[in-house]
Amino acid sequence: MSDQLRLVISGILLKGQFLVLLYFLAVNGWYLVLLVSSLLELRRHMLLIADESRHLLLSSTLSPTISILAPAYNEEATIEGSLRALLALQYPNLEVIVISDGSKDRTIHVLVERFDLVPVKTIYEQRIKTKPVRSLYRSATYPALVVVDKDNGGKADALNVGLSFARGELVCAMDADTLIEADGLQRMIRPFLYETDVVATGGTIRVVNASEVKHGRVVRTSVPTRLLPGVQVVEYLRAFLFGRLGWNRLGGNIIISGAFGLFQRDAVVNSGGYLHDTVGEDMELVLRLKRLSYERAGPGKIAFVPDPVAWTEVPESAKVLGRQRDRWHRGLADVLWRHRRMMFNPRYGVTGLFVFPYYVFVELLAPVLEAVGLIALAIGLATGATDWTIAGLFYLTAYGLGTALTAFTLILEDLSFHRYETFRDRALLFWWALVENLGYRQMTVYWRLRGLWKFLRGNKDWGSMERKGFRPVTAS
Amino acid sequence: MISEHLLDIAMLVEIGLLVLAVCLFFAHGAWLFLHERRLRRLTESARGSLAHLATRGTVNVEEIEALRRIPSDVQVIALLEISRHLSGAAKERLSFVAGQVGVVDRARKLCESRRWSRRLRGARILSRLDVVDPLVQRLLSDSHPAVRAQAAEWAAAQPSVILISAMLKLLADPATQARFAVQNALLRMGGVVAGPLATFLERNSGRAAEAGLRVAESLAEPRFGAAALRLSRTSDVGVRIAAARLLGAVGEAEGAERLIELLEDDDPSVRAAAAQGLGRMHHWKAASLLAGRLRDSAWRVRRAAGLALRSIGAPGVLFLRRALKGDDSFAADMAQQVLDLPSAAASV
Repeated sequence: MSDQLRLVISGILLKGQFLVLLYFLAVNGWYLVLLVSSLLELRRHMLLIADESRHLLLSSTLSPTISILAPAYNEEATIEGSLRALLALQYPNLEVIVISDGSKDRTIHVLVERFDLVPVKTIYEQRIKTKPVRSLYRSATYPALVVVDKDNGGKADALNVGLSFARGELVCAMDADTLIEADGLQRMIRPFLYETDVVATGGTIRVVNASEVKHGRVVRTSVPTRLLPGVQVVEYLRAFLFGRLGWNRLGGNIIISGAFGLFQRDAVVNSGGYLHDTVGEDMELVLRLKRLSYERAGPGKIAFVPDPVAWTEVPESAKVLGRQRDRWHRGLADVLWRHRRMMFNPRYGVTGLFVFPYYVFVELLAPVLEAVGLIALAIGLATGATDWTIAGLFYLTAYGLGTALTAFTLILEDLSFHRYETFRDRALLFWWALVENLGYRQMTVYWRLRGLWKFLRGNKDWGSMERKGFRPVTAS
Repeated sequence: MISEHLLDIAMLVEIGLLVLAVCLFFAHGAWLFLHERRLRRLTESARGSLAHLATRGTVNVEEIEALRRIPSDVQVIALLEISRHLSGAAKERLSFVAGQVGVVDRARKLCESRRWSRRLRGARILSRLDVVDPLVQRLLSDSHPAVRAQAAEWAAAQPSVILISAMLKLLADPATQARFAVQNALLRMGGVVAGPLATFLERNSGRAAEAGLRVAESLAEPRFGAAALRLSRTSDVGVRIAAARLLGAVGEAEGAERLIELLEDDDPSVRAAAAQGLGRMHHWKAASLLAGRLRDSAWRVRRAAGLALRSIGAPGVLFLRRALKGDDSFAADMAQQVLDLPSAAASV
């Protein structure tokens, strides 16, 4: 290689790395703003809820009815426990709609046997086109329970069927294997009672792996000792406590987890319900509600409430986790592409000018830039074009600052809800916050890049999620 | 080229931040552990004394002295905790004890604070202890909606004429939180609000009237009839819907006539509410008109009319059967669906 060519390549590598470095500096700077914002929001929230008496809400006939939509596909082993936990939720006007999405196992039989179901006819308006409903059941012992058996059409289709049958002003979309804390709905409904322009609220999702579960309730929290679930505990805390809470104060929330979200039924139905042909149907719906609120000049506030908690099982194998992250990133790309006209469009206010570009340049393209930076660094170090000083600075900017921010998120959790109480759990949390940068984060870059690649190739496969099941209470 | 000096600075800053975070995290954990242990011990002893004081019927001076010696935050925790489970004379004794140990005075001071969060806390303590105090009444006009809502919650346990009138004014509160709390509080006050609420509904319209109508619907007293009739003629759709529901709940002859008129309203939600109201009243004379609404262009009106016919009984079912053979396929379809319903699911 001639000296001149070497010089050119070295120049390109250096400039590229500087750009990536600046990008990470900007992103982490923005995260710092989010952290401060979430701190302020959390403080306001804690002051508002200190000593509040929610039992008044429980006894009020004015409380809006909530219809829980629980899609189930081949859940014969877990459906009874999950459903009993749902029926025991502390909320006065509650309806639980289980939608068996063409289950091939004995899901329906188990439900009929254990919940005393009888087939009924009902009148419903099908405003969203869905796969045919086979039969409808009501329980002779639980008046609040409705079970719908329908042809298989995917989660979005099942939720749309649930929307047609729901009688509540509000609908709670969730996964059948999510464990909602008993007072979760009472807490999550607050923004709907307190503000007029709210169309959707989301709660916090926490990782249940390694925690003890009894009768569908988490009775003892614990941080997993295994790498993948352990690191995901930290990831979830970061995403919810400083990501969504921080955006809440800035009015830029556009994500509500599909595992636990509360929506105004009419707003969802009028917007056309859940889309079938996307793997990011929950984010798509929220972004559509937001977009329509600008276009129709109607209500469109998306609120995140930090204290209602739902517990979910996260993947423990790299293979399944990779599939999940790949799907999430494909979903993100798909949703952003569908609503691309919002980008830098002043018609969509803060969302168009600021939030949407953030999701494109930070959430969507971060893995690309991170991969470019890492590859350039490796080539630079191998060819001698980059010295170790730059490599060190790159690592400190890209990962070191992130670790510091994560550490402060843990403090935020400790100052507010402190669900992890023992010294062992604290040490583990901190350990996973440090360790996630040494391999795990690079793996997620690869998975997200794979998702982006699959999106560009038009792949809309969901993949399968293997679950180990919740950890029961052990005799002490 | 980046100097090593810059790298050193960056590294030092990050290490500093991390060390700070570690120290804060673990120090807070240790403090939390010790604080909670202390709190648990003190709360347990306070809880025991309070339970004794509240249930025995007499107040012992030594026990009050012992409670005074407990830190104020523990006093508040124990008092609020036990207040949830008490009512009547026991609750009054608890409030007396709270006054004796200084919690009520401290809560009063909080109510006068310039910070909304402190006023909210003060109002919450006084509410939970059912302490009658003009300071909390003043908070009904506080600048922060959460404080107004808390004051309304407090007022629910003190149903006086002045308070009811102040609460009714808050039905027009621009903040949903305060409005909801006021509606709730009025409902909890029960029958005593019926008279003032009827007068209020006769004189008001718009958002305040709509909020009031919802409370009136739950109370369903005949004296709301006149106001509901007047409000059912306003231009506000929300008010007309709420008025139609109230007319259905009250169930008087004049109301039924007005509901029949509302079956022709321009807004489908009002027509549906009118049909629902007639069904609720089992007003068989309206059966033929409800049968006409089975041909309505709006699905929800057809559904409400069908269910109303079903709940009317034999005359309604007769009209439903006739609709099955009629020329309107939408009416026939709805009639069939309503007739297919099991009786338990056919209530409107």
